[in-house]
Amino acid sequence: MCDDCSCNATAEVSEEHMLEHLEGMLDEYRGKPGALIPVLQTAQTMFGYLPQKALRRIAVALDKPFSEVAGVVGFYSFFSTVPRGKYLVRVCLGTACYVRGGQQVLDAVRKNLGIDVGQTTPDRLFSIGVGRCFGACGLAPVLMVNDDVHQRVKPARINELLNVYRAKEHADAEAKK
Amino acid sequence: MTTTTILRTPADLSACAARKVAEEAALRSRVPCRILICMGGGCIASGSAKLQEALAQELTKQNADRLAVVRPTGCLGPCARGPVLVIEPDGTFYQNVAPADAAEIVSSHIIGKKPVERLLDKNAATGAVNEKMVDVEFFRRQTKIVLANCGVIDPLSIEEYIGREGYAGLSKVLSGMKPDEVVDEMKRSGLRGRGGAGFSTGLKWSFTRKSPGEVKYVLCNADEGDPGAFMDRSVLEGDPHSVIEGMAVAAYAVGARKGYVYVRAEYPLAVERLGIAITQAREYGLLGADILGSGFTFDLEIRMGSGAFVCGEETALMTSIEGNRGEPRPRPPFPAQKGLWGKPSVLNNVETYANVPAIMRKGAAWYASYGTEKSKGTKVFALAGAVNNTGLVEVPVGTPLGELLYDVGGGIVGNKAFKAAQIGGPSGGCIPRQHLNVALDYESLNELGAIMGSGGLIVMDEDSCMVDVARFFLEFVQDESCGKCVPCRVGTKRMLEILERICSGKGVQGDIEKLIALGEQIRETALCGLGQTAPNPVLSTIRHFRHEYEAHILDKHCEAGACAGLVRAPCQSACPASVDIPGFVSLVGEKRYAEALRLHRERNPFASVCARVCFHTCEAKCRRASLDDSVSIRAVKRFMVDQEVTIQVPEVRESPANAARKVAVIGAGPAGLSCAYFLARLGYRPTVFEAEPRPGGMLVQTIPSYRLPREILAREVRMIERLGVEIVTGMRLGRDITLAGLKSGGYEAVFLGVGAQEPVKLGIPGEDAAGVVDALAFLRQYNLRGSVPVGKEVVVVGGGNAAIDAARTAIRLGAKSVTIVYRRTREEMPAYAEEIEEAKADGVKLKLLTAPVEVVIGSERTVGLKCRSMTLGAFDASGRRRPEVSLETEFIMPCDQIIAAIGQRVESHEIFDTTPLALTAGKTVAIDRASGVTSVEWIFSGGDAVTGAASVVEAIAAGELAAIGIDTYLAGESHAFWRTNKEVQTSFDPDADPVPFAREKPPVIAVDRRRNNFDEVEQGWTEGVALRQARRCLRCDYGKTVSTERSA
Repeated sequence: MCDDCSCNATAEVSEEHMLEHLEGMLDEYRGKPGALIPVLQTAQTMFGYLPQKALRRIAVALDKPFSEVAGVVGFYSFFSTVPRGKYLVRVCLGTACYVRGGQQVLDAVRKNLGIDVGQTTPDRLFSIGVGRCFGACGLAPVLMVNDDVHQRVKPARINELLNVYRAKEHADAEAKK
Repeated sequence: MTTTTILRTPADLSACAARKVAEEAALRSRVPCRILICMGGGCIASGSAKLQEALAQELTKQNADRLAVVRPTGCLGPCARGPVLVIEPDGTFYQNVAPADAAEIVSSHIIGKKPVERLLDKNAATGAVNEKMVDVEFFRRQTKIVLANCGVIDPLSIEEYIGREGYAGLSKVLSGMKPDEVVDEMKRSGLRGRGGAGFSTGLKWSFTRKSPGEVKYVLCNADEGDPGAFMDRSVLEGDPHSVIEGMAVAAYAVGARKGYVYVRAEYPLAVERLGIAITQAREYGLLGADILGSGFTFDLEIRMGSGAFVCGEETALMTSIEGNRGEPRPRPPFPAQKGLWGKPSVLNNVETYANVPAIMRKGAAWYASYGTEKSKGTKVFALAGAVNNTGLVEVPVGTPLGELLYDVGGGIVGNKAFKAAQIGGPSGGCIPRQHLNVALDYESLNELGAIMGSGGLIVMDEDSCMVDVARFFLEFVQDESCGKCVPCRVGTKRMLEILERICSGKGVQGDIEKLIALGEQIRETALCGLGQTAPNPVLSTIRHFRHEYEAHILDKHCEAGACAGLVRAPCQSACPASVDIPGFVSLVGEKRYAEALRLHRERNPFASVCARVCFHTCEAKCRRASLDDSVSIRAVKRFMVDQEVTIQVPEVRESPANAARKVAVIGAGPAGLSCAYFLARLGYRPTVFEAEPRPGGMLVQTIPSYRLPREILAREVRMIERLGVEIVTGMRLGRDITLAGLKSGGYEAVFLGVGAQEPVKLGIPGEDAAGVVDALAFLRQYNLRGSVPVGKEVVVVGGGNAAIDAARTAIRLGAKSVTIVYRRTREEMPAYAEEIEEAKADGVKLKLLTAPVEVVIGSERTVGLKCRSMTLGAFDASGRRRPEVSLETEFIMPCDQIIAAIGQRVESHEIFDTTPLALTAGKTVAIDRASGVTSVEWIFSGGDAVTGAASVVEAIAAGELAAIGIDTYLAGESHAFWRTNKEVQTSFDPDADPVPFAREKPPVIAVDRRRNNFDEVEQGWTEGVALRQARRCLRCDYGKTVSTERSA
């Protein structure tokens, strides 16, 4: 999310706005060795995803061919080039979670949201991702909604769990009205 | 303190430590108690932040601010019990603490000095409460070096670290040791890399030290990617300065001035805390130029991963820090020569560095005093999966696996059977239960095809399918393969395809061999460690669990009930007879009792019998258990059969051709009768020969009538007779009939269902004395003849169902006291738990951990049993602890009757006369698993004769299998029409929430009304209860069209 202003950063970002944000950050990293990945990480934190225009800007600023930047983005699973929902639901499919029923949790989330892994709900509220171990194996199965870790998740209780976020969104919308 | 002191000399550091210690002491004299609350990632997920807030508020509210302070600390270890806290100086450990408990902790413990008992640890076996942390089994057996500060200090306070001798190791190094001396010290300590491969850390440092070059790097691998490993995360979150100090020592030793910590992005809290720690260390002058006035300069940077598992491989990690796709590079050159940006580098993982400060402080010899000959020190393990005490534990290297799982780990969740421990993540392997005694050190694990890895230890119980686990790991590796080399990119894909085929029921003969060949090729040819070790989980599961692979490929059966493509519903998959359980349970839920019963009898004729005596593996696999508790399937069945008015028989296909062929069944036990029943449904008219005067086998001879009323059994036997089966009693194989005689008498096929009836002897002196009797003979005599001599003081030896049946029968026949003697503990008793409970209610006493030594004889009769106390020692091949003699002292239990119930075996095979049948190593009849045929093409077998003493429902399933085998043999092909699942039309709304009713037990008659008779103990439910219970089913079968047909 963008903290600096009131824009809705999870939606498509306007070009001017994006560049304005980027420049300041790029100045900091220019000329440093191995800067590409930290730059991409910061950019993704800013915008919620990595729009192609931003990638082109980064390539120019770091003096790298665009193909190399795109190659790095494609390699790491944390980078996304499409906008994500406000809440990213990541279901852990690490070994401990898997043997404690992580797959059933994922199936329940998919069914509940009506979307598949990597997709976003039409209202842009939720996206589904799969995690490879959050290191909370002692409390398996777990899922993360943004930075909240939910432990010992039961497939039959997914609706309750997600409703908390729906209610939060609903309350925010009411408050805005 | 608000102003930061820069520590310019070792003396400054010591002064700072002394000041901190004094400060703490002063605080203690003002405020006596400290509430240390775990702020590890696990406990935070369990709500420890809210708890901390609540405790602070309560202290203020109850005016107790002068009695205690709340301190956040790092991971204490037992994640499963979180949130956890410790109150010092009392050393009291509280678990599962909710914010609502804060008030009571403050009022009772802090103010009233009385611990809150309900939040304390309880010993699982004795139920005794452990107040002190040091007494809790989970902590008692640990040795903490790496985790010494975790859960003790505030990870965000550098001064607390310094106050506990933090940076003293670095100070010692900088103020008097030469770099070569540091390297030598590390070599002498015997520390081996804790990231996986176990290479000597000292040696690694020496290579980088010797490597020429002005610029060198120290790298820390905190990309803890192995799923199931979270020790590095906990160290970074709980004691980040130990890693910084360790890296600084390494930098000094190898001659580096700059270091990087590569942390995975999944650990935001670790990144945050390490970042704070680095800033603090700089502020205190412990990072940067001229550290402690020594002239040594070192600084650190954090680099975050971006979700690529391969970056945990050392060369890929360096490529990633350089800002590129994290692809590995071929070695040599090794990082010690050409590492990060082509400069000599040393790379260790978090846990390795965290060991260094203590080694420097206390010396190599001290460190090497822990561990084994070749593997020194301690190792942190992350216990996860199906173990009670999941969490982080640190034990000396070489601790046996079983000790870690059962003593520290508290055993398997829900007392299920341990199947395997997966260690070392996707590069590792699994250790099956026959190797529970393996020492957890590098060499021993390698011998078993596993690796120490980073120490992630995932415990799996009977619900995990090992083929599916292998498939899971391959999917993981395939997903994470960087794609640079062909063996890993394409090879693992081919392996995954084969495994997916096997798991979905499309495996073919030869798949296992193909997997092994591919796996070995990939191991030899892949570029990096990830690829080379990728086949390990597959090769390891094939090595230890080949039978599971075979069951998937040949029988199309997944024993664990995990492979969706092979499992319609887990209960049905677990039922040996493959009864359509969701079908009949949902029909009962709609009051369609007759239909339900007919559906049951499609696969199992003995619905009324099994409603009473089945060991219901179905319930053990019921998915409702993950919500609250399993469906009471057996009790629902009991209600269903109680509603039977006219006998319900499913479809029978008449066939004059089949009726004309002669088939014999030997033995009218559950296997034989089931075989006859299914043959009759195909139109055959088999003849059953039974040695005893009444049909039923074990059902009538040994199972007492208070469990199975005789008219219930008789009714189902009559049903089978009505289908055209003739039962001839009093015909014993070897005496009245012979196999050869049957053959010459025109019988074209024979089913041999003779059971396992020969008792295993006690093997102790005096066992032939009067008063010593075998349990089966005892039960048989009572059940068939109506009376049996019973003693006043009876001792039953054994822990199985026969022992319980004999004991409860003896009570009913007027024995004054009945004691069961068993050499292991209650948990290891093979008898059904409900039966043991009811036996105790009847007044049967249990004398556990006791082994018989000798029968004491007086005037030619039994007058006592001499026994010895046992303790449980190491694990045996069955995964149970082996009883060992604890004290040489023996004692005598006075008694006038001893009933031996320690097992039974198949009778001597001379009864098979002139027709030699191939036997197994265990002296049971050998058969082909797909058809039930023995080594002689016209003789089939099943039940206890094949398996040794087993359950009723397994015998029923074996009878059915053999019936199909016989039909295929006689008619040229199988006509087993009942094997296609019937479509059951019951209403079900998949979107509705599960009904909220709790599981109920069936009622039993009161003890005083049952002790003197053989009336049935267990009763049926009322209709209301039964309907509610039936509707608890989650309908796992809904919308699934899995064929449960096992291939022939």
